Amino acid sequence: MPITPPVDTIDYRRRQKIGRIVQRLVIVVSAIVLAAYILAPVSWLVSSAFQTETEIVSIPPHWIPEEPTLRNFEAIFSAGNDEPVTYETRSGADPAAGDFIPSTAENLLPSMANSLIVSILVVILNLLVGVPAAYAIAKIRFWGRNASVYFILITRVIPDIALVVPFFLVIRKLGMLDTLGSLVITYLAITVPFTVFILIQYFEGLPDELDKAARVDGCSRLQALIKVFLPLSLPSLVAVVLFTFLTSWNEFLLALMFTQTSASQTLPILLASFTSDFTVSFSFLNAAGVLAVVPPVIVAIVFERYIVSGLTAGAVKG
Amino acid sequence: MARIRFTNVNKKYANGFHAVRDLNLDIEDREFIVLLGPSGCGKSTTLNMIAGLEEVSDGDLIFDEQVVNYVPPHKRDVAMVFQSYALYPHKTVYDNIGFGLKMRNASKEEIDERVQDAAKKLEISHLLDRRPSQLSGGQRQRVALGRAMVRDPSVFLMDEPLSNLDAALRISMRAEIKELHRAMETTFVYVTHDQAEALTLADRIVVMNDGVVQQIGTPDDIYERPANTFVASFLGSPPINYFDGVLEAGPDDEMAFVRDGLRLVLPADHAARLKGQEGRAVRLGIRAEDVAEGTAEPGYNALSGTVNSVLPVGSDQYLGMDFGGEELFFRVGKDLRHAFGESITLAVDLNRLHVFDRETGQSLIWNAA
Ligand SMILES: Nc1ncnc2c1ncn2[C@@H]1O[C@H](COP(=O)(O)OP(=O)(O)O)[C@@H](O)[C@H]1O
Ligand SMILES: [Mg+2]
Repeated sequence: MPITPPVDTIDYRRRQKIGRIVQRLVIVVSAIVLAAYILAPVSWLVSSAFQTETEIVSIPPHWIPEEPTLRNFEAIFSAGNDEPVTYETRSGADPAAGDFIPSTAENLLPSMANSLIVSILVVILNLLVGVPAAYAIAKIRFWGRNASVYFILITRVIPDIALVVPFFLVIRKLGMLDTLGSLVITYLAITVPFTVFILIQYFEGLPDELDKAARVDGCSRLQALIKVFLPLSLPSLVAVVLFTFLTSWNEFLLALMFTQTSASQTLPILLASFTSDFTVSFSFLNAAGVLAVVPPVIVAIVFERYIVSGLTAGAVKG
Repeated sequence: MARIRFTNVNKKYANGFHAVRDLNLDIEDREFIVLLGPSGCGKSTTLNMIAGLEEVSDGDLIFDEQVVNYVPPHKRDVAMVFQSYALYPHKTVYDNIGFGLKMRNASKEEIDERVQDAAKKLEISHLLDRRPSQLSGGQRQRVALGRAMVRDPSVFLMDEPLSNLDAALRISMRAEIKELHRAMETTFVYVTHDQAEALTLADRIVVMNDGVVQQIGTPDDIYERPANTFVASFLGSPPINYFDGVLEAGPDDEMAFVRDGLRLVLPADHAARLKGQEGRAVRLGIRAEDVAEGTAEPGYNALSGTVNSVLPVGSDQYLGMDFGGEELFFRVGKDLRHAFGESITLAVDLNRLHVFDRETGQSLIWNAA
């Protein structure tokens, strides 16, 4: 008897194909939803920076400016050149047009400079302190090695908010209130443990024999670190640079406590102060917000190709 | 040029582990010394102390006349080849080989000349632009050798350099390493757990176990005249066979080893060394190859049992024998045909017997050596 295939066979190949299409669809749709969720506020920030106050408050909102304008940015860069902004001079303008610039507007560029100085110093000092510390802990067996790892990590178990008051007291005793130094010191206290931790993970993944080979080849410990370990740990160094830069650039709580004047105020503090002015000018605020986003974005673009490999390097050996 | 001396050297690691105990060793200039022992016995620790990678906890390490206990590795004129090769992944082969010279501030021309020269000797000239990740295991091995060679160090250290290679390559590299030693005319200290490597390469072998030196001697000393049961068991394949029994004096200063079902009359020079030891509990060692098929010729006494297993290994075969409930292994010619369960008589080469104290495991006949 010839074998005939049963009539109602299920076409498994077709099924699999459909299954794959559905799967891909779900992934794409979820990705779009997630991206929209994340990007919407940023897009509105950027878009509104190029709108007039009138357009910003129009209903429904314009996602794409109908009359794009650069005057918000012009106002930022010329703030302080004109007469000082006071309650009197401000009320001269037309409240409906919302052409107000905040009374602290002239501090914007100095505060940006403060933010940059603090962030860059924190990045550099992190590397200077964190790299040798991590190398020592990863590759040198000394008395108290494990204890120091735990100690470093334990400092990070305490929430920052609990540290604010002690930090404040110490900074005041040191007479460092309202200085950039106070920010650098406290940001280091927050970021160095992470830096050391990330780098320990990475250095431990590099074989001990590499370190030994370098030292037999004529390197001192420091030279072995610089000539062999650093070039190999570029991805994790980039992760550290990004992490410390962004943390310092965005930090708010400590900066709010320690800074009072334009001598040390950082960008997040100044931006926040705009919202507590006599009247809030959204156009100006959003333009300033865009400027605040630019440096981190530049840093991220420059180091983009290293980010993923650096962040996962610690987790998966090697 | 370097003579290396360990005087009562101990190494205790930070966690309290005592890795090397009371090491006394005098390595001659240009000697090829092999540290041999099972994994974890402290060979690498000893080598690392010579390199300066591990500190000496106690005792003195002396290069020529200078105590170097606290001299860091980059100030000692040593080069080292590692088991994992430890090539710098971010550097080309050329830069890997030249790195040690560069760190010692050699001129560009000198580096180039030496690197090219070493590459030619090792037949890796065509690989100089590659990175380690683009090389095979054997090629990496050669680069690692090259990196150590170019520096023309006064001490050349190798830590199991061949154990990551496949069997055939391992044997041909042995010959190259021996040639390298001849050509470089410098002191070599080589670590391995492979007895064949040790026996092939060494001028002298240092057998270690649990951080303690068991015996120091030429390959011949170590193999033919093992100082204790550890050394006797560690070398030889299949391993040496042991019989527990007692010594019994006979007429005319004769001395015999006696146990159930076995009486072996020892040769005269053994007997002379064992004079006065009759009644002593001993352990007799017979190396796997020290037997011959057939009944006793003069100088041979016989050993009878049944065949338990026959394992051909190419050139010859391993014969498992049941001897009164004990399992013995011998190596015999491959033309002998034996079936499982057959009874067999093997003649023992009495001149090559080893007699150890049963309690201490120390040899009773070779300890003078
Ligand atoms: N850094 C260290 N700390 C503690 N113990 C160690 C360290 N390095 C090696 N050991 C121990 O010392 C012993 C000898 O190690 P090693 O010299 O590497 O042996 P091997 O003969 O296999 O080369 C081993 O038991 C090992 O576990
Ligand atoms: Mg070892």
